[in-house]
Amino acid sequence: MPGPLSDLRVVEVCGPVGHYAGRLLADLGADVIKVEPPEGDPARRYPPFLPGVEQPENAVTFLLLNANKRGIMLDLASPDGLEGFLRLVASADVLLDSWQPHDLAALGLSEDRLRAARPDLVRASVTGWGLSGPRADWAYADIVAQAMSGVMNLAGFPDGPPEQVADQQAHRSASINAAAGIVAAILHRDATGEGQLVEVSAQEALSMAQETAMMFADINGIDRQRTGNAGTGPVRIPGVGLYEANDGWVYLMAAGTAGSGFEGVVATMEALGFDSGLREEPWATFIRESMNRAMILQAMADPLRADDLARKLDHVDGVLTEFIRGQSKRDLYEVGQGLRVLIGMVSAPKDISTSTQLNARDWFVEIDDPGRGVRLRYPGPPWRLEATPATLRRPAPLLGQHTAEVLGELELSEAGR
Amino acid sequence: MTGLPRALDGVKVLDLTWFGAGPIATRALANMGADVIRVETAKRPDGLRVVPPRPEGNASLNVGGYYNNFNAEKRSVAIDLTTERGQELGLDLVRWADIFATNMTARAVRQIGMTWDVVHEANPGIVAMYQPMQGMTGPHSEFMGFGAILSAVCGVNYLSGFDANPPVGVGTNYPDYVVNPMHAVTAILAALRHRRRTGEGQLIDMSQLESSVAAFAGPVFAWDNAGIAHERAGNRVPFAAPHGAFRCAEVPARPDRWLVLACLDDEQWRRFAQMCEHPEWADDARFGTLADRKANEDALEALVASWVAKQQGPEALAALQAAGVPAGLVQNASEVLADEHLRERGYFVTLEHAEAGARVYDGPGFRLSGTPVELRRPAPLLGEHTWEIATDVLGLDGDEVGQLIADRVLY
Repeated sequence: MPGPLSDLRVVEVCGPVGHYAGRLLADLGADVIKVEPPEGDPARRYPPFLPGVEQPENAVTFLLLNANKRGIMLDLASPDGLEGFLRLVASADVLLDSWQPHDLAALGLSEDRLRAARPDLVRASVTGWGLSGPRADWAYADIVAQAMSGVMNLAGFPDGPPEQVADQQAHRSASINAAAGIVAAILHRDATGEGQLVEVSAQEALSMAQETAMMFADINGIDRQRTGNAGTGPVRIPGVGLYEANDGWVYLMAAGTAGSGFEGVVATMEALGFDSGLREEPWATFIRESMNRAMILQAMADPLRADDLARKLDHVDGVLTEFIRGQSKRDLYEVGQGLRVLIGMVSAPKDISTSTQLNARDWFVEIDDPGRGVRLRYPGPPWRLEATPATLRRPAPLLGQHTAEVLGELELSEAGR
Repeated sequence: MTGLPRALDGVKVLDLTWFGAGPIATRALANMGADVIRVETAKRPDGLRVVPPRPEGNASLNVGGYYNNFNAEKRSVAIDLTTERGQELGLDLVRWADIFATNMTARAVRQIGMTWDVVHEANPGIVAMYQPMQGMTGPHSEFMGFGAILSAVCGVNYLSGFDANPPVGVGTNYPDYVVNPMHAVTAILAALRHRRRTGEGQLIDMSQLESSVAAFAGPVFAWDNAGIAHERAGNRVPFAAPHGAFRCAEVPARPDRWLVLACLDDEQWRRFAQMCEHPEWADDARFGTLADRKANEDALEALVASWVAKQQGPEALAALQAAGVPAGLVQNASEVLADEHLRERGYFVTLEHAEAGARVYDGPGFRLSGTPVELRRPAPLLGEHTWEIATDVLGLDGDEVGQLIADRVLY
């Protein structure tokens, strides 16, 4: 079954901010043609590199985000190259670009000129700042949009620097929004024959990831700050937050009403053969009646109860800490979740690679990359469309690999007109 | 607000989502013109209706900013889907809808009788998006959790932050807000296209874990294929240096001010050195190429930090940008709201809500020039549209509605 976009041609000429958008459309079946300058996309030179493969074909992130695309080399700074590019646009349903206003002008291009080449073009512009406003021509990098969007301000410790979310999440957020907007624009074009501009600013695309911060500022006039490890509340509540296992960390939210609560934690201790003593009194009653985050916070505010409560919480937390320290994060996670405990393992990349669930669902896909002489294991797509599944059909293009092929197709189709 | 036709005018969505990842997805559909009907109950309201931020002293289910921001422009019908009659009405809405969406756990989906086989039998042409944490099959399909659990499991926490600190995460339930909802929108719209072309609906199995790892796949791909074990690297990246956040000169009006900058190539590094009047840095053999700068990154960052520490944030930012160096300030939420660039672009919108008053909402994450994406109404009150949906969509008459309210099927 072909993908739901398998009749579409997408021309991608963009920086790393948009690579994932093209990849998503390609996974849904589109013929994505990546246009690179003669020296290659700058991201081809970004470390880390695949061992045993030479530049410019060994950049790991480039290979990941540009799989499923064809690649052609065009020098848009030359008249011939630009003319070839406009012919390519004329053959395309979607143009995915990351040109800021000054880039477009420098190329001698304009929205009108692109639309003259293809009147019903869906043009998707993915940039750091959008095409309008005082910062439209500002220099952009992923971390800059993370900072200006407010997201970085929330990550980190109160006495330390703000922290980026790893793996280029401004680029990723912009790209995912672009992919959604492009499919929406294609639906409209299918219905009316009209193209349009899809415009994404990475700063805006990330704004929603401030979580409640914008609303706290608007409603209460409070700016949320970085809280490090104290985000879970004013007192340490057993079963809430980060605990260290014998091979890493686990994160728990097991002192509420969701799932099996702290009773489930005690059941997990039993299931893993740990003698906690928590089934005995006074602990059994304490856990049954008092181990609830909301109740604990309320009781801690009562000076007559706070000391006794704090002692009991310390004991339970000590038992829990000792239990977790003796276990592997995966056992804690899988056995605990099996007992409906809200627990997650803090997965390192190698843990994700060996994830029980991801592998049971055959999520990873291995394909040969004959041009590079390697076989690569790719993470799967973000969705499973039962009737029109995503497919991984080819590895990332070698630089200029499909130039002759694509230009040949253009001549054929133009000759046949 | 333009009032122009929108891309999804006429599309009907049954929204059984709650918390973050689901509602943000269906909000995007509503802001493109789809008629999105949320089924809710006061018995078990969306968890975001009961948490802050909310106006001080106001316990109403209708005033929480967390809920309202994610549910603008939807309609709300209060039906108790755990009752037999409520489930029948729910299935009538399934028959009405083009798109069905839920991010409940498999267990909760069973409790309200909305499993895929039931939904598909009631409406074979429907596009149904199920978005449980781990997908609909496999040994972990019943695992549960909020974004904080998912952030740990999908790798965000392990890789974000500084190596000296434990992996506490990024201060938010990060995958809930853009990655998972907007992946879901892409899939729903692609499936809607297939349906329009063939008449065929389908199941979309959206594992939030798969979706999150897909957006976070670089380190996994690097491990599997290059044997590279990425660790927490703070604000550094392998392909650029300097790249980080640096504290500005302390000023009483804005303490704790941080500037970020990134030199993505050698040329940007040279321009940076010239701009801050330290041309000798550009000539320093320790910093000539990216490889040199990565090898001497501690020393490099110490130099950059020493310069930034003497600067006022806004002035330094303007100078860096004028030199073509990617740079920005770490803005807090108030500053984001007041951001001149976002204001000129009209990103945030203020909507008048019957109980919450005039409140700010996030604008759309993408714009469409011909068929605008825009927020035309605020979030619904719980059950605000029960009467009109019961009569206009479900075709009940006034007496039936009254009886169903008395029976506590409708609210």
